[in-house]
Amino acid sequence: MNTLTTIDELGFAPALQQDVLEDTTSDHALLEATRSGDQDAFAELVSRYRNQITSYIYRMTNDYDGAVDLAQETFVRVYRAADRYQRSYAFSTYIYRIATNLAISELRKRKRRKLVSLTGFFQQSDGGEAKEFNPPDLRPLQDSDLVETERRNAVQRAIGTLPEKYRAPLILRDVDGRSYDEIARILETSEGTVKSRISRARGFLREKMHAYL
Amino acid sequence: MRKNTCELIRRELDELNLDETCTTAAIEHLRECGECREFQEKQTKLRQIVGSLGTVAAPADFDFRLRARLANESSNTSHFNFVSSFVWGPVLRRGLAAAALLLVFAAGAFLVRSKLNGPAQVTETAKQSPAPGIPEPPRQAATYPAPDIGKQKVVSLPPSKHPQKNKMDRFEQVAVSKNRRLATVDSSSTGANVLNGTEPLASSATIPIDASSVQSFTVSVDDGRGNAKTISVPAISFGSQRLMHNANQFAPKRVW
Repeated sequence: MNTLTTIDELGFAPALQQDVLEDTTSDHALLEATRSGDQDAFAELVSRYRNQITSYIYRMTNDYDGAVDLAQETFVRVYRAADRYQRSYAFSTYIYRIATNLAISELRKRKRRKLVSLTGFFQQSDGGEAKEFNPPDLRPLQDSDLVETERRNAVQRAIGTLPEKYRAPLILRDVDGRSYDEIARILETSEGTVKSRISRARGFLREKMHAYL
Repeated sequence: MRKNTCELIRRELDELNLDETCTTAAIEHLRECGECREFQEKQTKLRQIVGSLGTVAAPADFDFRLRARLANESSNTSHFNFVSSFVWGPVLRRGLAAAALLLVFAAGAFLVRSKLNGPAQVTETAKQSPAPGIPEPPRQAATYPAPDIGKQKVVSLPPSKHPQKNKMDRFEQVAVSKNRRLATVDSSSTGANVLNGTEPLASSATIPIDASSVQSFTVSVDDGRGNAKTISVPAISFGSQRLMHNANQFAPKRVW
């Protein structure tokens, strides 16, 4: 990889340069190397982000195979658009934005195909998306692992029923632990909007998950 | 006032990270307000549950599949630009399909035209019925009587038993109607006798036409499916008038 050469060319101060190497700017360097034809640099980028992106899209779409496909499509787009990439913001923001757009596009396609219409009896007035009827299982559970698994499944299903505009910021904040500022940049909206959407999303989840809280 | 405070405190709690501590004002409020305390407890628990979802790992062959996909895309784009294929692909496909369809129609039209323009042939039935004698009476009552027997002669033809022959007959009828070569087509199953100008009319007793009187006759052809064609032959004179113009050219064997 010729990442060091690229970083050297940037002319940062030595202390800062060290940070750059360790922090997200090294993603920029990897992408620069990819742009110049370094396949290993791109492989390194993929290995850094494949789990995060797959997981994020999976939480958004609730479909693992589809999530893997979309994650691959995300990397294909990154690769294809490497020449046009601008380092005005972090690479993670850039790749998460692509992934978000793909996931939302997939959700809209599904909506058009009425694949999620089984729960369409419970329409929300504001989001327009279906609320899943998810009654709590009142049978006694014998294993704490089972309880935990059941609770996670319930959360995943509940997140899956959130309107997409609430779903993405909630996942980015509460699952991925990203800052409001970064989420705002990923979703290309204001920080205030992000905060209010996350608050609304938690409100929805509290209603759906009251049996587990 | 208290409601506003609760809203502010809840918003502050909402925006905090799980590991962060809230302000002293918020702590004071939580001591006094049970609802906000309950809100904080549920909120914290919910965020812990959501946070426990963790990261789902990509499959082991993710890199391999991605490389294959990239290689496939690059090979595709090298042959055919992605954008142009996206834009022109459907148009090209439709254009090709339309051209193929047009070609098929043109070929079909050419074939039909060449068949129709070719020399009309005498039907097989005429060849198979060598009897020059009196024609057999019709096997079925498929006769379409002419309104005036005195003036017109009705010849009834039995329906053919062979579908292929039926087809042939129909084809010939079409050919006849299109090309108006009535004299060259024999639609009867028994075979028509040949009348030419040299023969004395008395010897040709096969068709009972009184040639001495000016009359026309009608041939009704039934294909056995209820489709009937009536061919009306105008008045014939065996004098110096020619029976049909260039009739010999198209009917070499049984010429009228």
